[in-house]
Amino acid sequence: MIGLLAAAKGNVDAGKAIALALGIGLGSLGAGVGIGNIFGSMIQAVARQPELRGELQGIQWLGFALTEAVVFYGLIGGLLAYVLI
Amino acid sequence: MKRVAVIVAGLALALPADAFAKGQFHPEEEWNLRDWVPIHLGSLNLSINKAVVSLLLAAVVTMALGIVLMRVRLKPTPDRRQTVGETIYEVAQTQVAEQGLPTKAIGRWFPYVASLMLFIWVVNMIGFVPLPISDEKFHVAGLAIPTFAIFAATSTLSVTITLALLTFVFTHYEGIRWNGPVKYFKSWIPDVPKAILPLIVPLEILGQFMRLISLSVRLYANMLAGHMLILTFIGLIFVLENVAVAVFGLPFATIFYLFEVIIVVTIQAFIFAALSAIYIGSAIEPEH
Repeated sequence: MIGLLAAAKGNVDAGKAIALALGIGLGSLGAGVGIGNIFGSMIQAVARQPELRGELQGIQWLGFALTEAVVFYGLIGGLLAYVLI
Repeated sequence: MKRVAVIVAGLALALPADAFAKGQFHPEEEWNLRDWVPIHLGSLNLSINKAVVSLLLAAVVTMALGIVLMRVRLKPTPDRRQTVGETIYEVAQTQVAEQGLPTKAIGRWFPYVASLMLFIWVVNMIGFVPLPISDEKFHVAGLAIPTFAIFAATSTLSVTITLALLTFVFTHYEGIRWNGPVKYFKSWIPDVPKAILPLIVPLEILGQFMRLISLSVRLYANMLAGHMLILTFIGLIFVLENVAVAVFGLPFATIFYLFEVIIVVTIQAFIFAALSAIYIGSAIEPEH
């Protein structure tokens, strides 16, 4: 009985770990696409108008940080769920 | 010089033998802030812990940087030190202040956003310099010396939320001061048909508070995740109890360390200041 309970507890922990990893993985999928988009557009823009590089760079890093932060919202949410439940 | 460094590194690796003790690995222990100098005012806990020490250190370094780079012995033909100072000033002015703030408010709010940028940069950077501010001790010749640990004060939520609260308060204070309370709060309500206003207005008000959360959690989570990753890759050696793991664990940890130091630290400081400028600017001059 105790063995079964321990196994169930272990399963719950394993399930939580899988859920956390899956959640962060899927979260980073979206952010990966977004960051790729930003840098791709930046390359195109600079290729078309190299003289705008300086101005575009500020906007590029702003967009990069805003997109990248989405992964960490997922991470914090996942960690919260992992710790609280 | 090189030989000395090798000997010191060898000693540092050989002496704290208990660091290589097998056992449990708890990276989250790093964020347990223990009181070093307990100060309690009623229910307020103002104790000095390692986050406070690193914040105080960062404040001193920020002031020193500002004075040394931008105040002392300025010449018409800048040397290297002055060029660094001028670069920081220029980034703060053209990339941060002028992007977000309206011209009439730059004079008043440039000092705030510029010092915010420099301060967060220094706090983040100190977080990646191994300093002897740690709760664990190792023993050399009978002396208990704190282990050299990397800990960023910005990887605790209370620090980042305080900085975000500053921006939050200044935003609404400036919005009300320039526009008057009625006009300012009216500017929150977008131009939409009257029927869906009850749906939109709560969302807009919620959005103002979401700014507070996103501003603080972005910085916090970035620094936390960076430190976690480095700790975890090194910690794999202790989790799997196998020194051979170091062969791939340490290079990955180093790569992440460099990524954090070169890119993330600067970007996060920049983004925090730029968004603060944009929020304050958009409160001073609402679009509608």
